Amino acid sequence: MRGYRRADGRIGIRDYVVVAYLVECAHHVARRIADPYAEQGVQLIGFPGCYPSGYAHRVLEAMCTHPNVGAVLLVSLGCEEFKRSALREAVRAAGRPVEMLVIQGCGGTAATIERGRIWVEARLAERRPPETSLGLSDLVVGTKCGGSDGLSGVTINPAVGHAFDLLVDAGATVMFEETCELIGCEEHMASRAADPALAGEIRGAVEKARRYYDDLGHGSFGGGNIKHGLSTIEEKSLGAYAKSGTRPIAGLLKPGVRPVRPGLYLMDTVNDGAVRFGIPNINDTQTVTEMVASGCHLILFTTGAGSVVGQAVAPVIKGVSNTRVFERMAGDMDVNAGTIADGVETIEQVGERILAEVVAAASGRPTRSEALGHQEFVLAYKTYEPLGPACLPA
Amino acid sequence: MSADHRGGRRSGWTSGRMSGGGNSAVNMVVMAPGDNVGVATRDIAAGATARDLRGCRQVALEPIPQGHKIALADIAPEDLLVRYGVPVGVATDAIGAGRLAHVHNVASRYLDNDEDHYE
Repeated sequence: MRGYRRADGRIGIRDYVVVAYLVECAHHVARRIADPYAEQGVQLIGFPGCYPSGYAHRVLEAMCTHPNVGAVLLVSLGCEEFKRSALREAVRAAGRPVEMLVIQGCGGTAATIERGRIWVEARLAERRPPETSLGLSDLVVGTKCGGSDGLSGVTINPAVGHAFDLLVDAGATVMFEETCELIGCEEHMASRAADPALAGEIRGAVEKARRYYDDLGHGSFGGGNIKHGLSTIEEKSLGAYAKSGTRPIAGLLKPGVRPVRPGLYLMDTVNDGAVRFGIPNINDTQTVTEMVASGCHLILFTTGAGSVVGQAVAPVIKGVSNTRVFERMAGDMDVNAGTIADGVETIEQVGERILAEVVAAASGRPTRSEALGHQEFVLAYKTYEPLGPACLPA
Repeated sequence: MSADHRGGRRSGWTSGRMSGGGNSAVNMVVMAPGDNVGVATRDIAAGATARDLRGCRQVALEPIPQGHKIALADIAPEDLLVRYGVPVGVATDAIGAGRLAHVHNVASRYLDNDEDHYE
């Protein structure tokens, strides 16, 4: 595998040019700048809000200084409250070429698009092939499930869990998420925690998620689950939990916080404090975005019904739980784990194939969603308090 | 490692799947060694044998619908049900090997699952 070594020492597996809008009012201009180069790794991201948000700033800064990103064009309307100069300085400090265009100062839509495209084309002309060799121990990989079905927890999710075990054993950094879907798994997770203080933090994160969803009025176990053979909330949660594999849990992360050493991490995706901005993650892409902000080079996305999403800053490898949907949506799926239910492959064999897909994608081969041009990105308002001292190993 | 391990494209098992829809004898997944329940990957009739790919065999004493659990050992009241190496509930009644393990004989250790979930 070969990657791109950045001036700050981090290594990326892609060399994206990112165009980032800093308020929805700059979205159209940013999109028009990026559009002609969508097939050349020019990616569109941004934050729609005008009112300032420390969380959104942290995530957007993490995206713009991500190792898969080689250059950044910031597009501002001018009157929004985003701290744009601080973001520009952070990108500059990370050693990436950065330009900021303020639409109100550039003379409007057409003039900004023209200047933006000239800048993007100059960055594309400077691109060089990847020259730094990298191994599995350099990789950060996250996992997320979406559109799950009755077989997800039996086939693709445990197969990803096996791939996670192989990655951890090879010295990689991996993360799973969604404490709100892990209710009933907290004691088992706590038993995997690297130390007792972390075990307490993990229990607390799941309890927070339970309270938050109680306040929102969302139930999480019912007749549909029972009809499909799930007997308890903890068995349902196990379906998602299986993605984490079996290795010890090294730490608890919040979005945008990067792991400090290799191993397996749990990400806490539920807001701190009272219910404030509604549902914590409005869709799968917001959660994926948060894991990428915490440094993921790649995402293993599992589905049963057949999700098609990708991501703007990290390639997404998609695995499906059943052969029927794999055959119907073969163009979108990188891995079929339906072979486990078909009695053709074991969980471990599919896990090894997933690892091979990780190596191929990290070596530069586009994943299905990349080849299809997917660049999903969502960033919404949230509030987080800083991590407690027990969350990350010293 | 080869970059050519995409599901559905390896000749080794693609041809088998195309001709027979998988290994027709296998109808169960035992997710981790030591689990005391297996998961049916298709409907298993009473009297039929549940088989996984690794050689685990268990005669079903009653119908086990797809996605439901079959006991692989005699499970006593208060015993934990273990799936994928993780406790997923506690037996409220004796569950003999080959029996269906579900809400009628399994309770959650966390939240009540005994409400009127069936419609």
